[in-house]
Order: sequence, then structure tokens, then C-alpha cells
Amino acid sequence: MVIEMRGVTKRYGDVQALAGIDLDVEPGEVVAVLGPNGAGKTTAIAVMLGLTRPSSGQVRCFGGDPARYEARSRVGVMLQESGVPSSLKVAEVVGLFQRYYPYTLPLDEILERADLVEKRDKLVSTLSGGQRQRLYFALAIAGDPDLVFLDEPTVALDVSARRSFWQQVEGFAALGKTVLFSTHYLDEADAIAQRVVVVDRGRVIAEGSPRDIKRLVADTTVRFAADVALERVAAMPEVQRAVREEGFVVVTTNEPEALLRRLFADGVALRDLRVSDADLEAAFVHLTNGQGLTSVAHTAAGGAAAATKGVSA
Amino acid sequence: MSTARVITKASPSAAAAATPGPAGPSLPPAAGPVVVVPPRRLSPTARPSGGRWALLAMQVRCELVSNLRVPEFLIGVVAIPVMLFAMFGPPNARWSLPDGTLVSTMMMPGFGAFGLVSLVIFAFGVDIANERGKGWLRLMRATPAPGWAYFGGKLVTSLALAALTLLALFVVAALIAQVRLPLERWLAIFGVLLLGGMSLAPLGFTLGFLARPRAASTIGNLVFLPLSFASGFFFPLNQLPEFLRALAPYLPTYHYGQLVWRVTASPASVEAYTGIALGPVWVSLAWLAGTFVLFGALAVWGYRRQRSREQT
Repeated sequence: MVIEMRGVTKRYGDVQALAGIDLDVEPGEVVAVLGPNGAGKTTAIAVMLGLTRPSSGQVRCFGGDPARYEARSRVGVMLQESGVPSSLKVAEVVGLFQRYYPYTLPLDEILERADLVEKRDKLVSTLSGGQRQRLYFALAIAGDPDLVFLDEPTVALDVSARRSFWQQVEGFAALGKTVLFSTHYLDEADAIAQRVVVVDRGRVIAEGSPRDIKRLVADTTVRFAADVALERVAAMPEVQRAVREEGFVVVTTNEPEALLRRLFADGVALRDLRVSDADLEAAFVHLTNGQGLTSVAHTAAGGAAAATKGVSA
Repeated sequence: MSTARVITKASPSAAAAATPGPAGPSLPPAAGPVVVVPPRRLSPTARPSGGRWALLAMQVRCELVSNLRVPEFLIGVVAIPVMLFAMFGPPNARWSLPDGTLVSTMMMPGFGAFGLVSLVIFAFGVDIANERGKGWLRLMRATPAPGWAYFGGKLVTSLALAALTLLALFVVAALIAQVRLPLERWLAIFGVLLLGGMSLAPLGFTLGFLARPRAASTIGNLVFLPLSFASGFFFPLNQLPEFLRALAPYLPTYHYGQLVWRVTASPASVEAYTGIALGPVWVSLAWLAGTFVLFGALAVWGYRRQRSREQT
């Protein structure tokens, strides 16, 4: 087992950041830790890294204390907000991190894997946001680690920068490496991870493949225009969530047939009816009781912009 | 039908224990004390990274080039003491002390001490506070790099910058302030300034780990300017207000200055210049040693507190 967490809690004063996390990660897995801001993702990663000691419970990384040298030398990490000395060049910072680890990849290979070959002799201060994230990724893989932690690596990146970033991560994972990343971009967890761990308020509330997570909560999105009060739709037993979006009523449900039967039976006149598979974002909203969305997640998935404002069933 | 599971709040651990991993080879269940540690899986291109000396050399190189690329830093730390001496030193070459030592000769180590104290406060204190504030230290700490690499890099770099400052100061002093000394005096002044300056390094480390990052620069100025002034680095102590002269012997930097002047000229000249009779050498040495130990302990405490407090 690469990582084992058993009943891990962490309390900062009055704030219960982790309320009992159990998590196993096996070699070669790509795991997404998904959750809203403040869910405890960053704290969980800090505990797995040995940067923060749990208040109670057990955490093991490569069979022991994550802070010991044997574990650290096999782990690479991208943290949120690590200012690199801005008057260093890309090759210098990477060179420094190469020497922090007992084993390393050739500099050229690291730069290639992080798509930074052309930026090799540029000062860190001249890098764009996306290039800077790629530099952190380069630092994370400099020691040829068996396990890479990426703590919300694509926050503040635009769509194309995110796509190319994940290509690099997938390239590294293809070497048989274990990757654990946190995100509140649901489409990322869906596209990259083999397994999704949904965290909310310091607990693991769901776990499974992205597909299973979706199926578990809400198969289907039913979308239509109608002169009907949103509250009336939301009150129907088949409905998990109903929101009004650009004049349409958007409903998440596990039982689309039964829902449509009821709507017709109630005499609701539907126009522009569309039935589609729910995306992971819908699943996520449901699992976290509708409190999980942030404004960033909206742009990520494009759709359900009214989710937090909507009526929850 | 579905292998995903929602974990109820009632029994999180029971649910977790029940599920085997979805992918990968089937390892024996991790029940009991048996710990399965996956073997190291190096890439085909991986190679050993070169050991601790390569690490220290790279750390020093990075520290040095990143300092040299910031002209403001170099000007502030290296050039200012030299420039100030260039302004105040030469006019004072007209006067000499009883044994013939020029007043400008006595001023030179004062500005050297000023330069090294500022280096220690800013290169260690403010720099560390900034790197701490930006999360750089935290990222370093998540790597297997030993703590001494970071401090070692800072120390070696500071020594190099200190030597640079002193050499520039000496050249200026010899060229335009008519400072003439036998070689062994030059060497003694250089050595005492350098060693004494490094004995004050824990002042900088303490600032670096205890000050709030945004406040560090202000605190640095608040500490080192009055210290330099009250220790007679700019003007001889006998030109300072009475209360400062009374306070001076309780400042570590005063004793730093006393040690340097002691190797610059005869005791009579030192007394004539500073207006205070030289005390026993061991008192000054004890002051620097005590400062080193006390602030060294404070810095270590601050470093540990910082590590245990990190919570983001």
C-alpha cells in the first residue's frame, strides 16, 4: 500500500479540518480527491506528506511515517502557493530540486515532461501562470518519485492550459507512478482519475470510479421549458434537485421515466424536452447536499450556473 | 450494480475496511501488523543525483545568482556601507589620533561592521521571512533535502557577499581615504569583521522565523539602524548623546565594534576615537558568544514553532 490513512482527524483550534478519514491508495493508481473549498483536501494531503501531524488516527506512506527520509525520497509534490525565488532560471530551480532527491531524472527529460524545454533559461518571474504550474510539476517529478501529490494543480489555469497540464500528468502516470490529486473541477476527476474520493467537511462521503459515482447519485438530467413553479417540480419524489437555468427547468433524477409520467399526469405542458446523462458535477452537488459548488467549478463544467442558487430537493 | 459506495456518517471506517482497491495487483489485506511496502520503481533514465556536496554547491549557486540578479539587494547590502564610507571617510583623513592612526582608518571598520550587520539582518532575516511567507520553505520541507542545505547555502552565500563588501571597502579606503596598514592588520580586521558578523547571524535567523513576513523588512530596519548608530559604527561614541553612550556597552554590536577596533589600532587610539576605554577582551568575546547562543536558541525555537504551526 502506498498510502494508508486510518481514522485520521485534524483539529485547528475550533475548526475540525479532518473528521476521520480512511483512505488506501495502491501502487499505480490515479486517485482524485474531490470536494468543495474547505472540505479538508489540502489538510489531508499535508497529513499524507507528513507536513502536518494528525490530531488522532494513523497515516502511513510507503509503510511508515511519511516524514521520514525513505518516504520523502519517493514522493514528489505540488503544493498550492509555493513562491519560487523569482530571480532564478527554470533550469536552476529544477537543478536544485534534482539534487534534493537521491535519484533524479535527466534535466532534459524533466523539462520535456513538463513542457518547459523552451523556457529552460527564462527567469521564473517571466513565466505565465500556466508555465509556473508546469514548473511546479517539474519540481514534483525531479526526484523520479513513485508517488506524486498534486494539490489543486490547475486552479487559475484556463481550459487549454489545464488540458495540456493533464496530458503531462498522464504521461508521468504512464510510467507506473501513483498520482493523487485534489480538485474541485469535476470534469478533471472524471477524465483523469481511475478512482474518485469525495471529501466533504473532513470526511470521505463517497468513493468509486467516476462512472460509479455518477450512477450512484443521479443518472440523468431532464431539461425542459414549462410554465410551472420550480417548487412544485422540486417537491416531486423522483426529483433529487431542480434548478431554473436560462428559462429552463433542469432536474437531476434517478428515475426519468417515472418523473416524466408524473409531469404528464399532472398536466404540465413541456416544451424543448431534453434528457441526458448527468455529469459528475451533478453527482457532486448531490453528495455534498448542494453546498459543494464554487464559482470556479461553474466555469469548469460550463453548465449548471444556477446550481447554488437553485432549489434543492 | 454499482461498486461505488456512499459512506454513511455512522460507520466510516467499517465501510472503508470492507472495500478492496479497484485496480492494480491484489495485495494481501493489510490486516494486522503486516505492512506491504511497494518496491521503489525507478524510471529507466533515473540516475543518482550526486550527493550532499553537489547539493550544497547547487544551493549556494542558486542563492548567489539570485542575489546577484537583484541589483537593489546588492546595492542595499554591499554598496551602501562602501558608499557611506566613501562620503564620510576621506574628509576625516585630515585628523590623526595620538599614535598617528588616521581617523578615517578608525572609521573604516565601523562601516564594515555596519555592512555586515545589515547583511546578516537582511540576507538571513528578511530573506528567510519572505521565502517562508511565499511557501517556498514549505515546499522544500516536503522534499528529502536536509535542513542544513538551506541554512548552509545561506551561510556560504552571506560569507561570500560579506567578503565582497569588505574587499570593496578596503579598496576604497586605501585609494581615497589614505588608509595605510600593515598586511597583518588588514587581515586581522577582515577576519574579526567576518567572524564577528557571523556570530550575529542568529539575530537574522531569529527575525526570519519569528517576524511576520510582511513586517520583516521594517523590523529589520528598526533593529539594525539603531544598533549600528548606538554602537558607534557611523560616528564615534563620544559624539553620541549621553544616554546612548551609557546604553552602548549593553549591545552585542558595540562589543563587535570594540573587537574590530582593538585589532585596528592601539588601545590608546581606540579610547581617543571612541571616547570609551577598551574593556577586557573576554567581555566582548563573551557578549558575542552569548548573543550567538541566546539568539541561536531563539531561532531554533522559531524554526520548530514554524514547522509545528504550519496548517494551510
